Formats: sequence, C-alpha cells, structure tokens
Amino acid sequence: MAIRSFQTKLLLLLIAVLVLLQAGTLISVHLAGQQTIRRSIDKELGIGARVLDQTLATRARQLQDSLRVLALDFAFREAIASADLPTTTSVLSNHGSRIAADAVVLIGLDGKVTADTVGGRLVGKPFPFASLLETAQDRGESSGTVTFRERPYQFVIVPVLAPRPIAWVCAGFEIDERVISDVRRLASTEVVLTSGAAEPPEPDSATYATLLHPLRTNDGSRVTALLQLPLEEARQPFVTLELKIFGLSFILLIAAVVAAVFFARTVSQPLRALADAAGKIGHGDYSTPVKVTQADEIGHLATALNQMRYAIGAREDQIIYQATHDGLTGLPNRTLFFDRVSQAIAFSKRSGESVGMIMMDVDRFKEINDTLGHNFGDQLLIEIGRRLERTLRESDTVARLGGDEFAVKFTAPTQKHATEVAARVRTAFDAPFVLGDVTIEVAASLGIALFPVHADDADALMKRADIAMYDAKKNHTGFAIYEAGRDEHSLRRLTLMMELRQAIARDELELYFQPKIDVVTERVVHAEALVRWKHAVHGVMRPDEFIPLAEQAGNIGLITKWAIRKAIRQCAAWQREGLDLAVAVNLSALDLLDAELPTLISGLLSEAGLPPSRLVLEITESAVMKDAAYALKVLRDLKRRGVALAIDDFGTGYSSLAHLKRLPVDELKIDKSFVQNLTESATDDLVIVRSTIELGHNMGLIVIAEGVETPESWAILKRLGCDMAQGYYMSPPLPVDEFSEWFVNSVWGAQRMSKPVA
Amino acid sequence: MRPLVALMTLSLSMPILAGTIDVRVQDPRGSVVRDAVVYAVPEGRALPLARKTAVMDQKNRMFIPHVLPVQTGTAVRFPNSDDIRHHVYSFSPAKPFQLPLYKGTPANPVVFDKAGVVTLGCNIHDQMSAFIVVVDTPYFERVGGDGKVTLRDIEPGKYVVHVWYPEMREEPQPDTVNVGANERIDLSFVTHRNGHS
Repeated sequence: MAIRSFQTKLLLLLIAVLVLLQAGTLISVHLAGQQTIRRSIDKELGIGARVLDQTLATRARQLQDSLRVLALDFAFREAIASADLPTTTSVLSNHGSRIAADAVVLIGLDGKVTADTVGGRLVGKPFPFASLLETAQDRGESSGTVTFRERPYQFVIVPVLAPRPIAWVCAGFEIDERVISDVRRLASTEVVLTSGAAEPPEPDSATYATLLHPLRTNDGSRVTALLQLPLEEARQPFVTLELKIFGLSFILLIAAVVAAVFFARTVSQPLRALADAAGKIGHGDYSTPVKVTQADEIGHLATALNQMRYAIGAREDQIIYQATHDGLTGLPNRTLFFDRVSQAIAFSKRSGESVGMIMMDVDRFKEINDTLGHNFGDQLLIEIGRRLERTLRESDTVARLGGDEFAVKFTAPTQKHATEVAARVRTAFDAPFVLGDVTIEVAASLGIALFPVHADDADALMKRADIAMYDAKKNHTGFAIYEAGRDEHSLRRLTLMMELRQAIARDELELYFQPKIDVVTERVVHAEALVRWKHAVHGVMRPDEFIPLAEQAGNIGLITKWAIRKAIRQCAAWQREGLDLAVAVNLSALDLLDAELPTLISGLLSEAGLPPSRLVLEITESAVMKDAAYALKVLRDLKRRGVALAIDDFGTGYSSLAHLKRLPVDELKIDKSFVQNLTESATDDLVIVRSTIELGHNMGLIVIAEGVETPESWAILKRLGCDMAQGYYMSPPLPVDEFSEWFVNSVWGAQRMSKPVA
Repeated sequence: MRPLVALMTLSLSMPILAGTIDVRVQDPRGSVVRDAVVYAVPEGRALPLARKTAVMDQKNRMFIPHVLPVQTGTAVRFPNSDDIRHHVYSFSPAKPFQLPLYKGTPANPVVFDKAGVVTLGCNIHDQMSAFIVVVDTPYFERVGGDGKVTLRDIEPGKYVVHVWYPEMREEPQPDTVNVGANERIDLSFVTHRNGHS
C-alpha cells in the first residue's frame, strides 16, 4: 500500500506541477492577450478617430477645390451677376448638384445671404456661420464642420470672382454614410455621428469597444463621433491562440501523465519486488534471490540486498552453529544435545524404541591439563571427540557438554544393547593418545541411562546418566548403568552439603586420632587427626563421605582450620600430660590456595606453646597439582615456619619425580591401596612399596605406610625399612578419650610414656 | 452729334473763366493710394454725353491701364496686343458685356453710356482684371505718383467731388464745392482703411 501511494504521490505531484505550469501559462497568455486586446483596441479606435479627422479634412479640401472650380464657371458667374434671384437660385441648385452639394448658399459681400437652395429660408439674413465667412474673407476661402439642419455638415466657402469678388458661394455637404463607410473601410471602425442637441447613443460596451471623439466644429456646436470596434473581432485571434495553447497543454498533460505512470511503474515495481525480498529475508528465507535486473540505483539496491541476504544467511548459520556447537571440538554443545535428546525421546514415544544416553568424563583430566598444559588438554579433548564420533553410528550424537565432559545419545532396543554401545564407546580410549611427543593413556568414566526405563524426559535422563557416571568414577568401574534410587542418594548429598555449614557451629564435628608407629622403636610417634561428623540422622560419617562435599560447597577451609586448631590444642594438652606426639592434619587442595594459612598456623602454635615441628600437614599429590606454583609458595612458607609436611596417598597421582623433588616435604605416605593387601606373594605391591621406600629414603624423606592391617604387612614393612606405619593393625582412628586409653593400654604406647601423669 | 461735340470742345477751351481743383488723396497712414480716381460732378445740370474714345489694351496678360476713367458715352476699344486670345467680359451692372475669344482689335468699340465702375476680366486668364470708371463729368483724373491730382479748366459752378479707388469698399464722403472763375480750390481725401490691408 505504501508503494501504491508512492506511485500515486509521484503522479499527483507531476500532474499538479504541470497543471500549475499550464494554468500559469494560460493565465499569463490570457492577461497579456487582454492587455494587448485593450491596447490594440484603443489604438484602433484612436486610428479610427484620426482617420475620421483625416477623411473629413481631405474631403473639405476636395470640396473646396470642387467649389472653387465651380465658382469660376463663366455661366455660373454670369448667372450670379444677373442678380436675378430665380436664376441665381437655379444656377446654385444646378451647379451644386454637380458637386453633390446638399446645400448651396450665395452670400453677398455684405455677409447677407442673397440666394440659397434650401427654399430661400436664409435669403436676406446674415450667413449663419459667421466665423466661416470671416475666415473666407481673411484668407480667400474656408471650410469647416458645422451643425446644419440638426445634421453634421461640412461647409466650404469660396468667392465668386468677376474677376474681383462679387459674392461668396458656400456649399454644404452632409457627413453621411459615404464618409462613415470610407472610415470603416480604412480603419475597420464603426462610426456613429451625432450633432446638435442629440445625445450620442449609449455605447454597447459589452459588444463593442467605444471611443467618443468630439469633432472640431466652426460654429461651436457639438458634433460627436462614437467610434465602435466589435470586441469579438479584436478578441478572435487571441481566443484562437488561447484555444491552441489550451489544446497543446492538454496534450502535454496527457503525455506527462503517461510518462509519469510509466516512470512510477519503473520505480515502484522494482521497489515492490525489493520490499517482498526484504520481507522474505525478515522471515528468515535467505534462499530466494532478489530479482531486479535494472542497472540503476534500484539495481544497486537489489544487488546490495542480495549480498545482505547472503551475508545474513551465512552469519545466521554461523551464529546458529556457534550457539549449538562446541568451539573447540566442533561437536554439538549441551543445548543442541539436549534438543537432539528431546527429539529422540519424542520420536521414541511413538516408535517404542529406547533412547540411551552416555555421560562421560575423562579421568584425571584436571591433572593432565595441569601437568601437560592447557593446549595439550585441548588437543586431547579434540582427539577424544574424533574417536567418539568414529565409534558411533550416524544416527547417534556425540556432544561435548563442557570441560572434559562428553555425552552420547543413541537408540537402543534393550539395556544389553546399551551396554554394548557403552563398551564400544570405551574402545575409543583403548589406544594411547599420541599428541606430539607425548603418548598418554587416558581412561573415562561412563554413566548410562535409558529412556523410558530410567527417566521420562530428556532432563531427567541426563541427570541420571550423570549420577551413573559418578558411580562409575567412584567405584573405578569404568562404566555404570543408572540404578533406581540413586537419585535419592544424590539428594542426600545436597542436603548434607547444606547441613555441613552448620556442623561446626553445632559442634557436630569431632577429631579422631590414629597413631603412626615408629617401625624401629615400635612406639607411637605421631597421631593423624581425622574428622568425624556425628550426624543427627546418619550417625558418624567418615571424611570421604563429606569432605568432597565440603570441597564442592567451598567450606573446606573452615573445617581445615577447625581441625588444625583442635589438633594443636590436643597436642598441647598431650604435651602437658607427657605425651610427646606430633599431630598430623590433612590439608585440602583448596587450603593450599589460602595465603593466610601459614600465619594462622604460626599463631596457633605459639599460642599453644608448641614447637612447629610437632605439627605435620598432609597433602595429596593432586592437591599440590591444582595450582602448583601457588601451592608451592604456601608450602615453602609453612616449611620456613618449621612445620613438617607430608605427601599423602603417594602412588595414586601422576606426579613426576622431578616435581616431587621440588616439594619441600619431610615425609612420604604410601597409599593404603598398595599396603592393605601387602603379602610376600603380592609381588606387584611389594615392588611398589619397596621402590617407594627406597625412593623416599634416597630423597631424604621419612616413609610412612598406611593401611597396615595385618602382622604380615607390618613385618614386611619392617623388613623393607619403612619408617612409620599406620593402620588397623595398630589402631583404628579413635576419639581423644579412647586414644588416651589406648595409649595407656597398648603395647605401642604405654611403655613409651616417659613421664607418668602426676 | 458731331456738331455738339465740337461745341463742347469750344466751350472748354475757354481758359479765362475756368477754375481749378487740387486734390490730395491718401490712406489713413498717409500713403499714396494707387490708381485712385478723382472726379467732380456738376450739380443741378446734366452734361451732354461725351463723344470721346479710349483704349484698354491687353498686353502680357494684363489690362493696360489697370484703371481707366472715362466720361459717360465714351467708346472704349479693347485691342489685344498679345499673341494669344483673350475673352474680355464684364458682369458689372454699369456695362455688362463680353468680347468672346479674339485676337487683334475688335471692329466695334464698347460704348460706356452709364456711369458706374465696370470691372473687367478675362474668362481664360483668371488673374487678369481692370476697372473702367465711368463718370458723368469730363472733370476727372487719376492720382499721380505723389498722391495729388489737379482738375483743371473747370467751368464755374457747383460740383460734387468724388474719389474712387480699386479696393474701395465704401466711398469717402464726397466734397461739394463752388468753383468760381479762375478760382483754385484745394481738397483732401483720406480713404477708408482698405479691406485687404
């Protein structure tokens, strides 16, 4: 509609301009015409008046000449000289008719009329037009215009010579139609003469242009010529001209309108096409090209629109791709994956097929990333993505959900089939990954959940696959299928996480102590402080049940500080009781990022009056790896303050020996997994434990074995030269009271008491 | 009639008893009035007609003289001295006549037997004109170049003295005088203003 109105507007504008122009032209032509007509009429009337005057003057001269000749006629003179009135009158009449005079008068030299041809009415009276006679007497002859018998006349007077003047003869000629027609012929002007008392006729100003022209008279009478010119006649040429111009204007207007319509079409149709094309682009149709082939500005616009269409389409594709794909691996991201899963579920609701989902994360990816660098980690993720894709069918979807977390969606008729798929996915990790110079074995934990067996929708399906994955990771089984009820477990974790915040304030935490025995002296030298949570509902909980939660919730720092404070106080208390034990407290990875920790510990130690060496802080390898540089700084600070440091769970991480060497530690604790099943026949464990002890000793470290549960393992450790041992064989972790009691009663403790309590 | 003429001649030739009238004619500005004629007409007595002749010549398309005073009864001849023809005419009441186209001298002279001014013209030469002043007295004379005229040998008696001149409109008042024997009378006339000047 906007285009329609544009076309209309253009048309109207053009027509309006043209009409205005034409009207202007017509009006000015008309006005100029009127003016010209008026001027030419005035001029013609003036000419008419002059022609009239001239005609009369000429006529007067001619009449005078005629009369002069007549007056010289011998017979005429002879008759006049006869002084016989009838003769004189008849000769006047006779000769007068020769020159077509309307009246002839003979005037004596005394100025009195002696004869006339108008019935003798003037005879004996003075000549009525005295001034004419006077002029004749002065100049010999005269002529003039007078009113005679109520009509305009020209009178001429000449003397009758014999050869001296003996009389004056006067001839009168009415100014009649002959004169008028002469004027009309010469000036094309109508003339109406009135004289005497008669009023000039009222001019017909509607039909005629008129001019009242008073004639010069010699008797003082009024003779007026009314000159008339038919207006129509004067206007006719202009009317014709105006008609021609009007016709021309009309033709021009038609032509202009046709041209304007044509032009408006050439503009508006392509514009409409452009608008349609732009509308399509607006609706997301980028495939239809704009079809305008003109080479003008509209053509340029169409080209630009086409380029824009293509560019927008490409950019939208890119945006959509970026929004739905992982930038690193090029795999679908969580959003797209979720859509695909939802679609598959919707489809399977009709087909009855199962939708399977595998959630996986790369084991120890964090450590790989930290150790070998982020670039390496990225390359590894890309390679994992490629391998996963290769293991799957076209219809399956592999996605990277973030970090080291991948997901696979597939269709599976049965749970068994799903297990097979999972197994096939795991084959992606069978071969070592060779990236540049580094060859590395990588494992992943897979969690499997199925629709509709485990969940009703995509959201729940993903959550449950996630839970299964955590189970797999926790149980080191590689993969796990979701078990019904695991959801509640997950919920419990959340609740605990929240309750843990209040645990300290409610004094629900308690420190247990487990003795570390000097292998040579077989006496307790250290006690490792272990946190227990006496939960109102769940009973006493072990650290591995809630410490990860605390780490996730971010309140591990509080627990650590609480534990250190408690341990130091207990240690001091034991010192006072004569128990010379060092206490060991576990530090979390997050604790190593707290720069204030060393100062706090120093403060607590001096407050308790305890030498720093009485405190041992145990750190896992991976904790140091988290932010190695910063952790190292904190550790060195602690070391500088005299606090003893121990590497916990040694053997489970990826730490290189070079890295280990840089750590300012005093002790090395072999992970219990190597010790628990240590027998003379378990050659693998035996080799590891022996190597580790040798390694530790070579590096000048005290080596401690955890998980000592049997006399056999104790014996082996003793034989291998391990420095300290810890485990259920000596004692489980005990509350303070029981520990004291154990100390008194146990073979590992009491004898060692150098100073009995007073 | 011849003896009567002779008698008249005789009586006039008596110088001893005759009187003289001197007349001066001038216009209001004192100028000479050309071609003026002065004549004295006896009062109370009729004089016999003159048996005299005069000549009005036509030469170079002019009448010569321009003014010819004659006594009543004088026969005037009109010789044509030009080699073209003239047609002499007069419409004057004192003597209307015409001498149609002619050459040389017509056989018969024209006798002017009635007093009055006869204006002469030529019908084919409009510019030609002349006057024959016919008076009932033998005592007449044209004024000379000095504006004076003398009427001599006038028989004593009572006379009315007139003046005429060509452009005259109105005659100046005539003067009546008694002429005694051997008496010399001085008269003076002032003409009216001329109509043409």
